[in-house]
Amino acid sequence: MNLDAAIVYLLVGGAAGWLGFRWAAAWRRRKDGGCAGDCGCSAKVGKKG
Amino acid sequence: MSVPAPALAVALVGNPNTGKSTLFNALTGLRQRVGNYPGVTVARKSGTCDCGDGLKVELVDLPGLYSLAAASPDEQVVTDALVGQIAGERPPDVVVLVVDATNLLRNLFLASQLAELDRPVVLVLNQADVAREQGLRIDTALLSARLGGIPVALVSAWKGEGVADVRRAIARAAREQARLPKVEWPANIAAALTELTRAVAAETGRAPTPAEAQRLLFDTSTALPERLGWSAERREPAIRALRDQVRRSGFNPLAAEPLVHYARLRKVLEGVVTEGLGKAGRTAAVDRLLLHRVLGPVLFAGIMLGMFASVFWLAKFPMGWIQAGVDALKAGVAPALDATPMLQSLVTDGAIGGVGAFLAFLPQILILFLFVGILEDSGYMARAAFIMDRLFSWCGLNGKSFVPMLSGFACAIPGLLSTRTIEDPKARLATAFVVPFMSCSARFPIYALMCAAFIGPLYGPGWESAVMVGMHCVGLLFAVPVAFVLTRFVLRVKPQPFVLELPRYQMPKPRDVLWRMWQNAAEFVTKAGTVIFAITLVVWALCYFPRDPGAAERVRAAQPTLSAEALDARVKAEAIERSWMGRFGKSVQPVFDPCGFDWKITVGVLASFPAREVIVSTLGVTYSLGEGAKADSEHLRKAMQEARWTEGPRAGGRIFTLAAVLALMVFFALCSQCGPTIVTLARETGGWRWAAASFLTMTALAWLAATVVYQVVSRLAPLA
Repeated sequence: MNLDAAIVYLLVGGAAGWLGFRWAAAWRRRKDGGCAGDCGCSAKVGKKG
Repeated sequence: MSVPAPALAVALVGNPNTGKSTLFNALTGLRQRVGNYPGVTVARKSGTCDCGDGLKVELVDLPGLYSLAAASPDEQVVTDALVGQIAGERPPDVVVLVVDATNLLRNLFLASQLAELDRPVVLVLNQADVAREQGLRIDTALLSARLGGIPVALVSAWKGEGVADVRRAIARAAREQARLPKVEWPANIAAALTELTRAVAAETGRAPTPAEAQRLLFDTSTALPERLGWSAERREPAIRALRDQVRRSGFNPLAAEPLVHYARLRKVLEGVVTEGLGKAGRTAAVDRLLLHRVLGPVLFAGIMLGMFASVFWLAKFPMGWIQAGVDALKAGVAPALDATPMLQSLVTDGAIGGVGAFLAFLPQILILFLFVGILEDSGYMARAAFIMDRLFSWCGLNGKSFVPMLSGFACAIPGLLSTRTIEDPKARLATAFVVPFMSCSARFPIYALMCAAFIGPLYGPGWESAVMVGMHCVGLLFAVPVAFVLTRFVLRVKPQPFVLELPRYQMPKPRDVLWRMWQNAAEFVTKAGTVIFAITLVVWALCYFPRDPGAAERVRAAQPTLSAEALDARVKAEAIERSWMGRFGKSVQPVFDPCGFDWKITVGVLASFPAREVIVSTLGVTYSLGEGAKADSEHLRKAMQEARWTEGPRAGGRIFTLAAVLALMVFFALCSQCGPTIVTLARETGGWRWAAASFLTMTALAWLAATVVYQVVSRLAPLA
């Protein structure tokens, strides 16, 4: 695999992984109640303190 | 070292929109904790407040409510918290009641009810600055004397005036334990309350508190009897008999409570408030025009039309600057990546193309929120609610549904969360079901792209604005019959009265409007730089792979006369057709064929199911990869205008005809394309059943409506 492909795979894989991680985290937060804050709305609820 | 727990628990209560949370922030500063009350999705906000002389109190900001007649989950939490019936929560040692100083009579109704809870109270008259502006003078000493000597503080929380007085007042209330005087009930009502207390105690073994007895007698929708364990067989005849007793004394039992409280409050306020020359007369005159049965809706439509026309016109210039910036960025970056063609395509066609196409709408979003901010802060939005309430009451929705639905025009999530203020669970469910129909701001970029690329150039800016307004109404037009069917035939919602407080008109504060614009801009740019950027890279990869290294040679052999530029475009078009996304889009395209969508639009539609705004960046990638177009909004428009069907009965014809453009916008106006909304709907309705029903209903309606629009318009205007 050449450098060109390696960089592209790394970037795309990183983006897909980050999206998956982010959605999983939002799912967990939403189960705890309130808005997970990933929807762009203004009703963000902080973590339970 | 452990921090000592605050000595006192203090609850902050008040009507909605009295500045309660602003006061809470001023009293607690940054020492706040946010969570949920156990078992319910009602936010619990608490913080520590220093009241001087070493007295630190735990301050809890309770949800706003108008009355202790708890009907909604929010209101139930407040009444439970005030009487200490929430697990793990101590009852408040002091209650701070925040009221609007400009509307004391209505706000003090809650104070009059709170007296029955027998707790030390501090009365905070907030918005003192506005009261001054209106020429109102309030004698706080006289008011305190009339209210049993409780501390009364006149403050302006948002200006920070009088906050120190509130701290001192809390300390004084804790020290002196002054209570609000209880209302004196007319003899027949007092006798009915005594009799009711005796009946409950006889059956359940526990006498209800005076406040509970009043709720049992005056409220029809309270859950209190079940909580007290008072059986329905005994309860219903007993309450009926006691209400008859109240009726014989000349009171309607369901209206007796406010009548008695307000009669007493009018006496309390005599001489307390002195009115100067107010703005009430001018407000009433303007309202006669803006709330007119016929003129009101016409003016509302005109204001909306003017707003969207201005958005398009004003945004043209900054959009051009952004496009020039994107062009310059691509031109600067591309040569540096000549040695790595795959990365070059990822950066220029994918990242810059997709994100650039999305970012180009920033000026329109900013200008839209400028107008929305001005309309909200001037007091006009509440009038719009009043105008729209007529429509909602017709379709059987609770009048309170307007606020969630209005919020839905910005984003469905806060709209869904605000349905918690609706008391009737069935009305709450019906409202939550139709909130996602409202045209949220995420739909704006696709409308803007289609209007700017096709409607404006073909029919002029007037039609551009009209279509924009129309698209914002499509969701509403479908929501009304859906709500009608739900409320009348499925859920059988009983009609409920709606009380809307119309704020006075005022000049919007530039700082507040600009702050809201800034917040929205920051959110939009953050989204472009994070989620949209990541999705764009993934969509690019799906559109780019697998590669066929022999494609260029094959195309050149088949069409040897092609210029280098045309050859490049042809190779790119073939590559995307053979890509994973291309194959997937082509296999699903027959489903969307009746709507007039080709496989590239189909790819955009499918990629947009998690979040609908992804459509623009996806089209940006597919068209820049597929057509060899430069990927910014201007070039994306051109590529779309020139796109043609390559196969099938429409081969050679334009893809984006008027029929297809309208069908695509209608599809996005109605389709359920937002993962967070579906999850929130499931949580708010207590399960996945209604969320699944909403997703299926909206998606099916979107497909059906887009098909009807495409088929009808393509027959009526085949050349457009």
